[in-house]
Amino acid sequence: MDKSNHVVLVYCLTQLGFMFFFYPGNIISSATEGHWIPIVIGMLVNILVVWAYMKGLSYFPKQDIISIYLGVGKWAAFVFLCPLVIFLLLVNIITVRGFSEVISLVFLENTPVWAISGLFISISTYMAMNGIGAIFRTGVLLAFLFLPLILFTFVISFQNVDFHYVFPLLTKNFSFLWQPGYIHSFSAFAGSFLFLGFITPYFTYSRSKMMLALAALVPFFILSVYLPILTFGQATASTFNFPFVVLVSTVHINWLMFDRVTMFLLLSLITFAMLFISLLLWEVSRILKRAMPKAKPSYLILIVSTLIFAACLSISSWQDVQMLFSWNVSFRFFTLFAIPFSILIIGLRSGRRQKVENR
Amino acid sequence: MKIGKSLLALSLVVALCGCWDNTDINHRVLPVVMGVSKKDSEYKIFLQIPEPIQNHTLIKIVTGSGSTINHAVDKISANLEDHVDLLHVKLILLDKKYAQSGVDDSIADFMRGRDVSPKTLVSICDEDLEQFFIKVKKKMEPKGTTLYDFFEKNAGWNPQIALTRVWEVYRSIHSYTRDVAIPVIRSGASTVVQHEGSGVIKNGKMVAQIDSDETLLFNAFNGESTQGKIEVMDHASVLITSNSIRHKGTMIDGKPYLKSKIKLKVVIQETKGHPTSDEIKKEIEVMLKSRFDQMFVKLQGSGADILGTGQYFRNLIPRTQLKDWRTQYYPKLKLDFQVQATIENTGFTNLQ
Repeated sequence: MDKSNHVVLVYCLTQLGFMFFFYPGNIISSATEGHWIPIVIGMLVNILVVWAYMKGLSYFPKQDIISIYLGVGKWAAFVFLCPLVIFLLLVNIITVRGFSEVISLVFLENTPVWAISGLFISISTYMAMNGIGAIFRTGVLLAFLFLPLILFTFVISFQNVDFHYVFPLLTKNFSFLWQPGYIHSFSAFAGSFLFLGFITPYFTYSRSKMMLALAALVPFFILSVYLPILTFGQATASTFNFPFVVLVSTVHINWLMFDRVTMFLLLSLITFAMLFISLLLWEVSRILKRAMPKAKPSYLILIVSTLIFAACLSISSWQDVQMLFSWNVSFRFFTLFAIPFSILIIGLRSGRRQKVENR
Repeated sequence: MKIGKSLLALSLVVALCGCWDNTDINHRVLPVVMGVSKKDSEYKIFLQIPEPIQNHTLIKIVTGSGSTINHAVDKISANLEDHVDLLHVKLILLDKKYAQSGVDDSIADFMRGRDVSPKTLVSICDEDLEQFFIKVKKKMEPKGTTLYDFFEKNAGWNPQIALTRVWEVYRSIHSYTRDVAIPVIRSGASTVVQHEGSGVIKNGKMVAQIDSDETLLFNAFNGESTQGKIEVMDHASVLITSNSIRHKGTMIDGKPYLKSKIKLKVVIQETKGHPTSDEIKKEIEVMLKSRFDQMFVKLQGSGADILGTGQYFRNLIPRTQLKDWRTQYYPKLKLDFQVQATIENTGFTNLQ
């Protein structure tokens, strides 16, 4: 069943949900001038990785990555999927905890964080329990409801832009490559594309459309960093934890009856983040299901999300979230590079073998 | 199972609506204006609170003091019967003495805190805040939003008033090349407030003051519309209908050189004697240029770059040196300000 549009939409939503929060801050903290260079490098890496992943998967129609690794051997499945599960769990914890912190920062200041993250995770769990079809349908609904709002806030956030802040454009300083901020900025990419390898038994999608979507996201990534810089300047923007959120809260529109446009952006992005979390939960449950074939998938999801919730409760401060971020670095780069390229290599080898057999 | 699910969904509603420890709207007070002054490291806060009563609004001014702004607000909140919510503060009024000693801490706190919005307007009061609020209160009833309307673009704002928001002041504290001007007001004799010009803020400290005519040029320089301002000269008065400005920065022998050309379109309002339109044109150009040059000398002396001239050199000076813009380059800056006026029409009568 060809579901290219759904796949592309869900991918874009999960990317959008992430890019406005952590990504601008990470990039702005890692480079002081010529920010487009780190962004473009990151985007190229992402495009290459997603291309390799899809190319590798295309050698195995109707198989997800679990079966592909199992086809190579149990050891391969163990070596590749164990770090993946840990990565997915960590990303889940960070996302739930990070986003509930953002919500309490911006509007629900009196609500305790456990209530926010509880709500967060329970909705995502419910979506994940209903399976991938439900997640995709929710994705389409969310896109219809919230994409116009996101575009609206995006357009109006040009209000206070001063284009002189774009300079200096060029930099000879490539030290950003080793900055922790830059390394963390890859968290915006890692994780979002993984679901492509899990949905293959259910849906097919066109690879060219995916590549188009990747290209279409490039300007959003660039603007998510550049809009705060153009409004505040690098020196000021680097003092904010979430530059884009502050940027939107500076927008002043006389004719709009709502005082704070930040709400629109935030509430829409939070639904995207819920979608992302449910997607990750579903992926974890698929892997665990193979390891424990007798267990019911919905119970697995429930157990996993309870674990995540418990972990979120034990994180007491924003600094701990940052620490989790750094712990996750090795797993993040493992999933970003090792998984797509291993799939590509396995695919190329099996393709060659088939050719030899056909001869 | 179905009942269980619907019960679960219902229980979510409790959390979803975000009404945790919620204070109802009738138990909140929403100040519109907040006055801040500081005496011997103690802050004194004035809150102007509108109280709607049947057909009109009563205005209450409450004060409190504390070692920080939040401390003072908290004290007020504790003494009031309602909860003070700063979410809807539209105008922050800073005492002039406090502004001169540096407001960067308070501004940074406003940006950090979630209650005061970053787009709240900032203004300086050239009068003892206590006196100011007493005088203003008498004249403001029954509407209560006068102080805020004074700055609203779709209400009482005029092109010679600088409009500055909290985030812009915050930006000026950190930015290498940009300072801000904050409007200065005091209570008026017949009107509620009187505009006194603008305070020049450098890194969060008021270092000079420009008058309202100069503020007009400041607004025009930054590309704001000055439409509607009337300029009076020796032989005529004109109404500005539109303006546009172009800047070009160059570096000559390591010295910054900025050429700014402003184009004005004006309509003739009144004349004295029989000036020709060329004479009037010349008069505007000469008058505005000399006024601008005077202002620029004053600004350069204060070291504050409220015109944002450094912005036009961002592509010419490397970032490491741009840091020293205010000390190394700005005092050496040569600014060539040119005015080009066009008389759009002369009204229903000809100029003789």
